[in-house]
Amino acid sequence: MRCREVTTRLDAYVGGELPSALAAEVESHLASCESCRLALDRLRRLAAVLGQTLMLPVPAGFALKVMAEARTRAARRPAVAAWNPFQWWKMGSVPMRAAAAAVLVVGLLAGLAMGWNAVQAPAAKLSAQAAPQGDPLAGYNLDYLGEAPSGSLADGYMALLSGRNGEGK
Amino acid sequence: MSDVKETASEQLMQAVAGGDLSAFNEIVLRHQKLAWDIAYRFLGDRHAAEDIAQEAFLKILDAAPRYKPTASFRTYLSRVVTRLCLDYAQRRRPTYTDNLPPVTDSGADGARQVAAAESEQAIQGALMTLRLNQRMAVVLRYFEGLSLAEIAEAIGVSGKAAERLLARARESLEPLLAHLCEE
Repeated sequence: MRCREVTTRLDAYVGGELPSALAAEVESHLASCESCRLALDRLRRLAAVLGQTLMLPVPAGFALKVMAEARTRAARRPAVAAWNPFQWWKMGSVPMRAAAAAVLVVGLLAGLAMGWNAVQAPAAKLSAQAAPQGDPLAGYNLDYLGEAPSGSLADGYMALLSGRNGEGK
Repeated sequence: MSDVKETASEQLMQAVAGGDLSAFNEIVLRHQKLAWDIAYRFLGDRHAAEDIAQEAFLKILDAAPRYKPTASFRTYLSRVVTRLCLDYAQRRRPTYTDNLPPVTDSGADGARQVAAAESEQAIQGALMTLRLNQRMAVVLRYFEGLSLAEIAEAIGVSGKAAERLLARARESLEPLLAHLCEE
């Protein structure tokens, strides 16, 4: 390792925060490099000086001021907390979560089954209404056109399909 | 909460999220020194430091419903205070203005008081010459004993960058404080 890299790593080395292989490399370098050993010594002295400084105590009444402001903000907040649909999930026990999951799965399956039945029913109804052999009109399910007024465009159209003339004859 | 004094801060925060102000009061009492120490040592200004430390706790209170204990509360608080300090310093460039405390003893203790006060002034003055991120790295490491990983998270840099910040800071501080280091 080069000196520059070693001196950059010294804080981690002193703090025991280097992986063991890297720490071993740093130690090996330090054993043969006086310049880096002096750098390590300076780091330790600096850390000792800084660590021994007396800090000013926390200002008197600090916590009281924080709590006074906290109560003011709490009073301003709406009484009902914002709805969080996942809060109950986080707070629930494992059996409760399992029961909720089971209900969800059963509900989904029931919904799928009902939807499947709903899709199948019109198809069955249509095939039941399927035209008997030889009646082209019934196959189109156009029985509502049977009420078309005589002489109307719809009546004429039906006449063409069925081979009648426009007057139903 | 049955006994707040026995409860870990991370658990207390869950109660705070539910609106429990007594839990929040315990959080403040436990950790006010950390918030104050970081802010004061970084800013060198008592009034600004008090405002920042107070604001840090209030921000934590507001964010309590979203709090997730992915790290220790101490690390979390350090990060909040650090970000507030760096934002403040970038906006205002505070200067160290504290005066030496009065010497109350004229004897040997008085001489020690003077020496201690002068050391304190030299150290704080040297800190204020550092770039903001370097200064914060020094405060968190040498005054608060945070790990490199915690420092990196607080400042918002990588672990290697945190190491470099400390190395550069030491290069600047050592000549300024050599007279103290030799004693």
